[in-house]
Amino acid sequence: CSEYQKALKSVDTATKYNVGEKLYNAGKYAKANKLFEQILPAYRGKPQAEKVSYLNAKSYYEEKDWYLASHKFERFMDAYPNSEKLEEAAFLSAKSAYMLSPVFSKEQHETKHAIEKLQLFINLFPESEFLQEANGLVKELDLKLETKAFSIAKQFNTIAGFTRDFHAPMKAMDNFIIDFPGTVYREEALYIKFDSAFQLAVNSVYHKKEERLKDAKLYYNNFKKSSSNPIFIEKADKMNEVIDEELENYSTKS
Amino acid sequence: NTQAQELQPAPTGKKYTVGDISVTGDTHFSAQTIVTYSGLRKGEEIIIPGDKISEAIRKLWKSNLFRDINIYLLKTEDNAAFLEIRLFDLPQLKTLEIEGIKKSKKKDIISENNLQEGVKVTENLITTTKNYLTNKYQKDGFYNTKVIITTTEVQDSINRAAVNMSLSIDKGKKVKVSEINFNGNEAIADSKLRKAMKNTKQKSFIRILKRSKYIKADYKEDLESVIDKFKENGYRDARVISDSITHIDNKNIAIDITVEEGELYYFGDISFIGNTIYNDEQLKRILRINKGDIYNGVLLEKRIADHTKPDAVDITNLYQNNGYLFSTINPVETNTVGNVIDMEIRISEGKPVYFNSVSVVGNDVTNDRVIYRELHTRPGQLYSKANVMRTIRELSQLGYFDAEQMATNFNNPNPNEGTIDLEYGVVETGSSQVELQGGYGGGGFIGTLGLSFNNFSLKNIFNTDAYKPVPRGDGQKLALRLQASRFYQTYSFSFTEPWMGGKKPVQFSTSISHSAQFLYEPRTGNADRDKRFNITGVTVGLAKRLTVPDDYFTLSQAVSFQHYNLKNYNTGLFTFGDGYSNNLAYTIGLTRNNTFNDPVFPTGGSNFSVSAKLSLPYSLVNGVDYDQLIVERDQWLEVQADPNNSQIIRNQAAKQVGNIDQERYKWLEFYKINMKGDWYINLVDKLVVKSSVEFGFLGAYNQARGVIPFERFFMGGDGLGSYSLDGREAIALRGYPNQSLQPVDDQNFTTNDGGTIYNKFSMELRYPISMSQSAKIFVLGFVEGGVSYNDFKDYNPFNLYRSSGVGVRIFMPAFGLLGIDFGYGFDSLPGETKANGWEPHFIIGQQF
Repeated sequence: CSEYQKALKSVDTATKYNVGEKLYNAGKYAKANKLFEQILPAYRGKPQAEKVSYLNAKSYYEEKDWYLASHKFERFMDAYPNSEKLEEAAFLSAKSAYMLSPVFSKEQHETKHAIEKLQLFINLFPESEFLQEANGLVKELDLKLETKAFSIAKQFNTIAGFTRDFHAPMKAMDNFIIDFPGTVYREEALYIKFDSAFQLAVNSVYHKKEERLKDAKLYYNNFKKSSSNPIFIEKADKMNEVIDEELENYSTKS
Repeated sequence: NTQAQELQPAPTGKKYTVGDISVTGDTHFSAQTIVTYSGLRKGEEIIIPGDKISEAIRKLWKSNLFRDINIYLLKTEDNAAFLEIRLFDLPQLKTLEIEGIKKSKKKDIISENNLQEGVKVTENLITTTKNYLTNKYQKDGFYNTKVIITTTEVQDSINRAAVNMSLSIDKGKKVKVSEINFNGNEAIADSKLRKAMKNTKQKSFIRILKRSKYIKADYKEDLESVIDKFKENGYRDARVISDSITHIDNKNIAIDITVEEGELYYFGDISFIGNTIYNDEQLKRILRINKGDIYNGVLLEKRIADHTKPDAVDITNLYQNNGYLFSTINPVETNTVGNVIDMEIRISEGKPVYFNSVSVVGNDVTNDRVIYRELHTRPGQLYSKANVMRTIRELSQLGYFDAEQMATNFNNPNPNEGTIDLEYGVVETGSSQVELQGGYGGGGFIGTLGLSFNNFSLKNIFNTDAYKPVPRGDGQKLALRLQASRFYQTYSFSFTEPWMGGKKPVQFSTSISHSAQFLYEPRTGNADRDKRFNITGVTVGLAKRLTVPDDYFTLSQAVSFQHYNLKNYNTGLFTFGDGYSNNLAYTIGLTRNNTFNDPVFPTGGSNFSVSAKLSLPYSLVNGVDYDQLIVERDQWLEVQADPNNSQIIRNQAAKQVGNIDQERYKWLEFYKINMKGDWYINLVDKLVVKSSVEFGFLGAYNQARGVIPFERFFMGGDGLGSYSLDGREAIALRGYPNQSLQPVDDQNFTTNDGGTIYNKFSMELRYPISMSQSAKIFVLGFVEGGVSYNDFKDYNPFNLYRSSGVGVRIFMPAFGLLGIDFGYGFDSLPGETKANGWEPHFIIGQQF
């Protein structure tokens, strides 16, 4: 019978606590946590509870059980607002929430939740040693939301050949740029807008074509102003040539 | 007491330091625990009166452990406040006695009302339990249900406050409505009014599905239906003057309803006001109500906005489907002269509304791109209710989401700009199926392992993080199936990507299969592994959703190759025991499917398909003279059949026939046409009728080369083609044994090669029992008939084998569709004389 097994069956909370702490220090978080879970109810309302709650939450964190870790740290913060571990708990709770954020192409409520928690941490502890890391994490999550919105808008352009709906990518890209004004995808977004407008124009019936070609031309100029990627520029320039040729038809006829 | 509070200026508190806090009353918690829990701390500064104290009381109440919580200020001493927390433990439930119901139901009552031992007994608990139980039994028709709850205090062994509870339920007799009487009605008969009452029915022997019972809320609803009935018939002023319930005995009540009909009214002039987009003519065409018609308020309401049918043809939908989200339509009675009512339909059109952003939430598993490509509502598009509904329908048909929990949320409506945001809420549901079977059949143990993943992600197959438990979310299908017994083994693998390349819905699918069969060794009773028949096949296909004539059409194409290899496999099926045959074919099919909503239980629409499977016309180019070959073959057959010839010569002749057949079937040459149509119509209530027609034909390009012995139609039974040897198609026909309905040849002998032409008609009535997500159950009754022939010149499509019967289907997400049917075959099997009679069929998957 190991010390752990004995402690597990023991009725003495102090034994459980001591063995638990030892296991925790040795990095055996799962075992330690079993003991902590056992003694938490007994310590409720007592001064020792603070430390046990902290170790309990931290063990979940080390175990990579992000969901429980985030929750336990949050409860720790509610219960002990004056604790010296408050800052660390706030950060680890937020970081655990960050870990729960899924790939950008799926439901993002965890991501938004994590951003909120990280932001709250940053506001509460602007002097924190974790500040830099927290800012990094927020940035990463923001980029995730940005990428999601951009990919959705971009897909409307990808499938426009099938849906015959060239307005959707333009509208979606407009919304995207409004929602994420400083986006890293700005250039590609403007390119896709131009591409969609171009496709719409060249696929138009005669009496709508001229106006749409002119619209596309505007989008081209808009794109050109802020572009530096040679691949996009080359493609856009080619489309622009087509627009110019087509527009010439209209000018010579009138 | 209920006295109103007197208004006093809010007293300003005074600051104290908390001295000692004492705990009195009756509680088994330690004083320290209660003080800590209250949030008050000795030595801290508080304001009395102030929110610290009320916060402490609130906290203690919230714990749900105490009653009579009070905090008193005992005394103040040098700015120190001495507090007393006075509270009592809520009693715990110790024992629960339930009287008046079956033992087996007690558990449910305990869990439904949360009456486990140790739960804190509050007044609220007692009241809600009482109401819950009374309602529960009244809903089942026990109108006289009485529930009495008493509690008695007991002394717990450790001095905790505890009570014993006794629940006495007197359901009484099931109460039925023995009669419903109407007074004051002249224009509409009692029976029609009773029929209008959808929930409360008069007692009757023949009514089995809807038993008579009295539920107050439903009865109130029915009274409105009665009035609606009058309104539908022009009695606009009809009303219920009085209604009463008489207790006849403890099992029966009588309902008396007195109505006042009022006068009969007619429609006068109907004019439209405010319409600019549609002219009066267009609106009148939808309204379909003319001057002089009997006044029908219900119909008028329906033609303006039918709330029972979201896709009805009404004026509201005309506007809603064309962008006018903010339009409102109000009928107003402008003039009543005598019994003629003039109507004015006032329309406020508003601006056309465009979608600003369109988003999807709740897709924890499925990737955005898989969902957004299915949307029929995109940013910048004109708002259309019909498109929203179509999107919902198609998203549920993907099978990744719970069809019952699909939601649409309209956010940020902006009537000035004419924009709105649309958010689809989805809830992921299990879409994988595992099939693991073992059983005896075919002379030994048969084991089957089948896995099918309907929302697979091939991209993530090497990404260990994505295994939850399998990589999912790209909308791909992956299926694996292994089946083995002593006599045969089959392995198959298939993969489908619905949007190859991501630009268009071009479905790419591929499958590989291999099967081996062994002959029976009569000496040992085992499989003889030296006598085998192997089939290996590969299929690659593309299917494309079309946009013309409408976008319910799908065009599919596939190239398939199958290699048949025989070794020492001498059966009646082949004239050559050692040899091979190749089947390279191109299949092209066109289907149109607009069934809705639930793929398991469609309630409307139709599913139509036509396909052709073709091999290359080898005989045109390979230079073999099949006319000559068939003459030779007939000669050898004659030699073989002639009893005057010696055995050696006859065997040699048989071998020659085999050689010729090997030559004929080296590369299979054929064409095959299939057609199939299903129609679903929602008759009444939830009853759906499904009618279907099927036809198939297998032909040869070169008549001398003949129709191949593969790829044929085998009719009868459940249509499960698990033991498919030779590309045969098992055609289901209930009421007859599997593959039993073989064509009859010229001499009236039954063949067993299968048919080359068949057709089938079927009619099925389906009624859903449960449509919950965990188990969808429906019952069905059917009549059907089908026939197959070996030759087009014998073909008579109406000389059917007929059958009818009943069955049940259960769909569970983890198992797929399971079911059992009992069919009665009215006709005799080929070669027999009496009707085939009852035949049970077990159904796995969707065949019928």
